[in-house]
Amino acid sequence: MSPILAISGLSKQFGGVTALAGVDLAIEEGEILGVVGPNGSGKTTLFNVVTGVHKPSGGTVLFRGRDITGLAPHAISRAGIGYTFQQAMAFAGLGVLENVQIAGEHARAGGTANPWPTPQALLDFVGLSALGGEKAGVLPFGSLRLLGLALALATRPSLLLLDEPAAGLNDRETTALVGLVRQLPGHGITVCVIDHDMKLMQMLCRRLAVLDFGSKIADGPTEAVLADPKVLDVYLGGDL
Amino acid sequence: MNAGSALKPLRSLLPVLVILALIALVPLFSPSNRFLSLAISAGINVIALYGLSVLFGQTGILSMGHAALVGVSAYAAAILARDFGVGFWVALPVAAVASAIFAMIVGVPSLRVGGHHFVIMTFAFGQLLAIVLTNGGDYTGAATGLDIAGPVTLFGADVTELTRYYLMVVAFVTVAAVASWAIIHSSYGRTLRAIRENEKLAASLGINVGRHKIGAFVVSGVFAGVSGVLLAYFLGHISPSQFSSFPSIYLALMVMIGGARLIEGPLAGGILVAFLPEVLNLDPVQSRIVYGICLIAVIMLLPDGLIGGIVRALRGLFAGKAKQEAERDAAPSEARR
Ligand SMILES: Nc1ncnc2c1ncn2[C@@H]1O[C@H](COP(=O)(O)OP(=O)(O)OP(=O)(O)O)[C@@H](O)[C@H]1O
Ligand SMILES: [Mg+2]
Repeated sequence: MSPILAISGLSKQFGGVTALAGVDLAIEEGEILGVVGPNGSGKTTLFNVVTGVHKPSGGTVLFRGRDITGLAPHAISRAGIGYTFQQAMAFAGLGVLENVQIAGEHARAGGTANPWPTPQALLDFVGLSALGGEKAGVLPFGSLRLLGLALALATRPSLLLLDEPAAGLNDRETTALVGLVRQLPGHGITVCVIDHDMKLMQMLCRRLAVLDFGSKIADGPTEAVLADPKVLDVYLGGDL
Repeated sequence: MNAGSALKPLRSLLPVLVILALIALVPLFSPSNRFLSLAISAGINVIALYGLSVLFGQTGILSMGHAALVGVSAYAAAILARDFGVGFWVALPVAAVASAIFAMIVGVPSLRVGGHHFVIMTFAFGQLLAIVLTNGGDYTGAATGLDIAGPVTLFGADVTELTRYYLMVVAFVTVAAVASWAIIHSSYGRTLRAIRENEKLAASLGINVGRHKIGAFVVSGVFAGVSGVLLAYFLGHISPSQFSSFPSIYLALMVMIGGARLIEGPLAGGILVAFLPEVLNLDPVQSRIVYGICLIAVIMLLPDGLIGGIVRALRGLFAGKAKQEAERDAAPSEARR
């Protein structure tokens, strides 16, 4: 089966800095793929280039066989790729429920599940239904992350990119998040997740890709990748 | 959606409608011609301000060349009357479209560069227009400008007379207020607010940020266009200096002083700035100083403008009651599944 997302030779330069040095990566339909790597290895840049936040310096991105390289962020969102940023964010001055309503209004028609859950149902799903009437700006950090997830889900993605979704969450919130993310493939949503927390990644992902200095140095079953000498080398003295 | 939640936004329109109804009764007290003239000028500004409130209050982008959009339609109306014998009611939509098109021409390059550049670009375009009009020879009347003659009739009656023109302007202000309210409470308004709050997030959720910003500017251009035609026919003579940088700054100032996000804001800002020098008996230089001070005070103390500040103060006074209302307000939206 052809991958839902096929990245080939993707590169990105920021001035003299090479953030991505020709990355090939395939995301298979229905999986939860993990992307790990040290700070500054290009993980966020990979997501930013795929979602159109940054224009790539080279390479191509095919989404379900369609070339989406260099499209604008809104067009890529409407093509069916959801994205939650490393910096948790929401429309701070607007209501929590209103946030999710807005996110749903510009989504592509259709989506994998029909009918797609309502904004209220999405708030229920992430456990924020009691806070629907609050301003998003007053939410505690953990809730803001969950709202970010609800926003991305409201766009009816078939592929969801999560950049450090558990950063800043406490243990209880992290466990809840793992529970939520695991359900997504069952709803027709393929997931690609970045995180530094290897315990979390082991719980979520059967497959890991490792970036170092903008290049992919390993890609395979989680246990094998974590035992790979090249990977251990990169993380020497790190949190592995 | 149930009837309760549909009525809720209507409640926010009600105070403005009541105030405008009272304003329409003013001629009963036989005001002076000077008062009526000031009020008409204020009303004409308020129409443009309602457009500016969609742009600034909802979308979060500030135009510092808004008087130019007013000027485009004022000149369009004058030229249409001179060269084609076109009257007020035909000029109104045509000139409004001209302003909207001008807004698009300014908006496409300016909004692409984004952020603070937009303020500078609109300012530059405003100056440019004044220069073009000044150097337009006989066609634009150069620095002297153009006369616009001809009565304005409504249902066969001449409304050029001051009291009638006043009432007509009040009617147009009402339409502008309702139109701006309708935009604010539509899903389009919500999209604009999302852009105001966080462009990056908005784009990631499928919102075409650039197109909507240009759209909001074009919408504000339509309001400015209507304002320009009313102005041209009211004054009977227009000249480039009326649409250059100072008038533009004044419009921005009025919307900020009044408060751009609330439906009462443009009305309050327009009336205040028009009547304050009169009430305080200030000469033009003094009034500019007072406005400068007002603006700084509003920016520092009242981020939502004067009306926002008053609302907040009242909320503070009736904190208990406001909290109850907030809870009641939250209920219908939650029930809207
Ligand atoms: N907008 C930008 N402008 C300039 N340089 C950038 C930009 N974004 C990223 N970089 C650089 O690109 C490299 C990769 O950064 P990136 O944010 O992709 O790393 P990361 O793997 O996500 O790191 P972390 O784990 O800390 O989030 C870094 O050297 C970073 O400084
Ligand atoms: Mg990162």
